[in-house]
Amino acid sequence: MTAADDKQRQEREALAAELALGVLAGEERRAAERLAATDAAFAALVDAWRERLLPLADAYAPIAPPAAVKRAVEARLFAPATRFMQGGWWNSLAVWRPLAIAASLVAIVLAGVQLYDPPAGEDRPLLVAALAAEGGPVRYLAYFDQGRDQLTLTRVDKPPAQGRDHELWLIAGGNAPVSLGVLGREEGISLAVGSGLAAEIAAGAVLAVSDEPLGGSPTGAPTGAVIAAGPVKSF
Amino acid sequence: MSLDSGEIDRLLSRIALGDRQAFSRLYDACAPKLFGVCLRILRERSQAEDALQETCVKIWRNSQSYAGGSQSPMAWLVSIARNHAIDVLRARRAPAVDIDEAIGISDPGPDPERNAIISDETRRLTACLEEQKPERAEALRAAYVEGYSYEELATRFSVPLNTMRTWLRRGLMSLRECLERQVPE
Repeated sequence: MTAADDKQRQEREALAAELALGVLAGEERRAAERLAATDAAFAALVDAWRERLLPLADAYAPIAPPAAVKRAVEARLFAPATRFMQGGWWNSLAVWRPLAIAASLVAIVLAGVQLYDPPAGEDRPLLVAALAAEGGPVRYLAYFDQGRDQLTLTRVDKPPAQGRDHELWLIAGGNAPVSLGVLGREEGISLAVGSGLAAEIAAGAVLAVSDEPLGGSPTGAPTGAVIAAGPVKSF
Repeated sequence: MSLDSGEIDRLLSRIALGDRQAFSRLYDACAPKLFGVCLRILRERSQAEDALQETCVKIWRNSQSYAGGSQSPMAWLVSIARNHAIDVLRARRAPAVDIDEAIGISDPGPDPERNAIISDETRRLTACLEEQKPERAEALRAAYVEGYSYEELATRFSVPLNTMRTWLRRGLMSLRECLERQVPE
């Protein structure tokens, strides 16, 4: 390593420390932030400094914020979807029952099951979910047939990009996401759910779809962007 | 903070999947600390409330980038709050009011409950700061905790800007050496 290299390395290290500490201002701060956004090695130096300096944050005494802040945050993040979902028609059984039945009919046709087999007992609650991007359009409709432990999805938007797959995840209660399977490229998808997991598909659980490499996540946990998510609703 | 780091980590991975319940739990657990950060740096309640709101929106939107990184959850959360508050601080020109006035209470002093559990990291960092010249250690702490710029620090410590820069840069590098000495590889 030449003296010039060494000097440059020290300069980057000092700049990373200054950015993490927060002492830079104006154009110096902006330039360091741009470097962190575009240079992963520099960003890692900044992260390491944030970790080193974290004990200084003990000086920040926790102070309860007014409740209005949480309401404002949730309204900003979730309001369009919430309005959409609480806007009458969304909660209406008259809309959901035909949609769910249509979805299950697609599944029945795909599975080669005879059509006269009724889709679900009329007295059993319908478990359905609409999976949408944050503030975006619905991308998948899901219907869970409790009699057969079968989850039926209808894709109502673009298929996965070439060389990618969509993978479905269940988040129940406080548990980590569990994969329910890779969705493939068909518009109608039917997945058999193991009885252990089937019990966890209930109102309040969340279904989410992530963008993954072909064949699904290599790690058993989501690795790509979440393209759609939605809560399971019971009717 | 009522949740441990592993629990916050799990909540963040669920937030990355769009789980709103997890977000609500994380907010309840961490917002007081993050509000403490914003209030201390901005020293003005309504600005601190706005900053907390922006911080939480960024946490939701950037949670996927956290999942791919190597930072501890608290370092990540506190950095988002400090960065945003410092951005607001740098953008405004008004003089800061007294912190007690902003919080609306007198300084409660060190929180005995928090101080009962001093982490190894805190003990190491404190020991390393003590190795430094007192005014330099003080400047480093003030830079982090209050969000002061080099310029503000130079004024407050009555030294030229370049002197302050040299103090902090040397201070930071010797801090790193000291910490590395204390953690056997």
